[in-house]
Amino acid sequence: MTAEVWMGYLVDAHDDFVMVQSPFVLDGSRVFGADSDVTTLAVAGLLHRLQHESIASISVPDGIDGQSLSMATGIVLHDEEAEDEAPWDVLMSDEATVVIAKHGADVELTTLDVEVEVDSAFNTALEAAWEAELTATHVSQGAYVSRAQYEEAAKSRLSLLGQSVQEGVVWPPRFTHVVDGSPSTGHLLQRTGTVQSWTTLSAAGAPSEFSLRAPLLGGISTVYLQLDDGPRGVFLTVDDESPHFEMDLSMELVFRRLYAQEGFIRYGLKARAIDD
Amino acid sequence: MDVAVVGAGQTKYGNHALGLKGMWAEAAGKAFASVDGDFDPSIIDEAFIGSIAFGGSQLGNTAALLTEHSAMDGISVRRVENACASSGFAFRDAWMAIKSGQADVVVAGGIEKMNDLTPERKRYWLGVSGDTEWERLAGLTFPGTYALMARRYFHEFDASHDDLVHVSVKNHLHGSMNPDAHIQKEVSFEKAAGGFMVADPLTLYDCCPTSDGASCVVLAADHVAKKFTDTPVWVRGSGAASDHLALHDRPTITQLKATRDASNKAYAMAGIDARQIDLAEVHDCFTIAEVLATEDLGFSGRGEGGLFARNGEGRLNEGHTTVNASGGLKSKGHPLGATGTGQVVEVFKQLRGQVAPSRQVRDAETALTHNVGGSGATCAVHVFGRDRP
Repeated sequence: MTAEVWMGYLVDAHDDFVMVQSPFVLDGSRVFGADSDVTTLAVAGLLHRLQHESIASISVPDGIDGQSLSMATGIVLHDEEAEDEAPWDVLMSDEATVVIAKHGADVELTTLDVEVEVDSAFNTALEAAWEAELTATHVSQGAYVSRAQYEEAAKSRLSLLGQSVQEGVVWPPRFTHVVDGSPSTGHLLQRTGTVQSWTTLSAAGAPSEFSLRAPLLGGISTVYLQLDDGPRGVFLTVDDESPHFEMDLSMELVFRRLYAQEGFIRYGLKARAIDD
Repeated sequence: MDVAVVGAGQTKYGNHALGLKGMWAEAAGKAFASVDGDFDPSIIDEAFIGSIAFGGSQLGNTAALLTEHSAMDGISVRRVENACASSGFAFRDAWMAIKSGQADVVVAGGIEKMNDLTPERKRYWLGVSGDTEWERLAGLTFPGTYALMARRYFHEFDASHDDLVHVSVKNHLHGSMNPDAHIQKEVSFEKAAGGFMVADPLTLYDCCPTSDGASCVVLAADHVAKKFTDTPVWVRGSGAASDHLALHDRPTITQLKATRDASNKAYAMAGIDARQIDLAEVHDCFTIAEVLATEDLGFSGRGEGGLFARNGEGRLNEGHTTVNASGGLKSKGHPLGATGTGQVVEVFKQLRGQVAPSRQVRDAETALTHNVGGSGATCAVHVFGRDRP
């Protein structure tokens, strides 16, 4: 079956469920891309669904970072203590596939025909790098961003939540209104923008947060985007697509892994060229 | 109240055998020895020492440790931190201390020991002054940040990487004549153009080296300056400004607003404009930074910094203003906290005719120093002259 490509993933949407799948295949099995996991697939699936209908709350299984998922999508996590069932569930399969389904929906997984073969050695090395990065004792020798500091801005980082102030829309939000009492309301920005500049850092020159994976990826790329809603921002590009940049190229921002520290994955929005 | 520089000294920049205490003692000793008259450090009223405290080996109370080892025991001292502009601001603080009437003799200096760390720890400290929360987590180091500026600049104006290569070649030429420079070696255009790519489009030859070093200057109020020398270098203008820490919060990334604001204040105080600057030590941590600085400081028009470099207008005694006669950060080196007052050391010697004839800026009467913190979040600009304001 021909799949829809959505935020770099394959999507098969039905009335009461949506399947999200990695396009990458190794030895006949679906595997995650270089900066993807079940949480990133689930967020993509939910954002796809939210185009068509609202989701009041959702139940997520172990293995998915519910807090990040909730901040990225704005969907409330279902209270596990509650007597009623969640209206929607996130379901995981053994392979790099996630299903977002209405509770009790009859889910039938389909076989999608897009398959991008990945190199076995690369995949093994990258998985090992993530495993090493994810150990609780691993603390990057980069400029340290504590968990508290990361979480303070996580909502803005993961959902592109900006701020409406007298001068217009600001992102990331500022705390000025706390001091001067000026009006400030949240403003959810569109996740699209155009390239104003870019660079690719060599593996040796990449920040040490990325030192385990940058050599495998051949360096890391960053774009400076003019967001369609006004503010500007700098974003890493997705790890699993070859970068080809040009000025004014339209890009979208998708939810991916950034790096891990102290056993905790920090997620963020990364840029990828909008599919034709 | 006018303020003069009456002494200035520095270590050679580079991989220095000495540690913090030894380097500072050497720089302070040279500064005190450069004072023409008798100079007893016990008369110093205040001291301001710029440093990021790279490596964290003495992160707190750095300045007290250093003065203890340089015959300045007991004086009022503090560390000033504004990233790479730390000692530019230390100098401004020293100038303000005298202007306020609270001090007559003040020391300003800077220091950084960068080469005694493992590569991993070095990368940590090289990243602490950028916007860690947004830029750093978007993969940016300072080479990456300036690479974004460079590519955008090429897009907006008539410029290319070749213009940056001209900056690199010029500053290596100037540095090859400076005995205090980290890299005392000329580089050909072809070699600089083909360097290892660090952050596309910036190559190794677009980036300053990682240097150890210390610098120190002695400032004096007008009513005591005569005791120390008949040829003081007068501080004619001081300006400082700040801007958003992160690039994405600025209206443009092809201009440093902090530089423009700081230099406008310094020029206004000095009663001059950019055309009267004979010699400028500008903050070329990356070659694109010098291109932007020549515009922001008014040596060239907006969008003409590339042309300025291409035409060799900043080369020693070839254009109206010699830019980075010392070799600049690119070749003289960039021991972060030491850089700002290190620029003053160069200007002090140039305006007093105390450098080798081969690298002397002819008829130098008025000079400028330009010290930038990070990618432009802070900036201090000073104007100096042989004549009293």
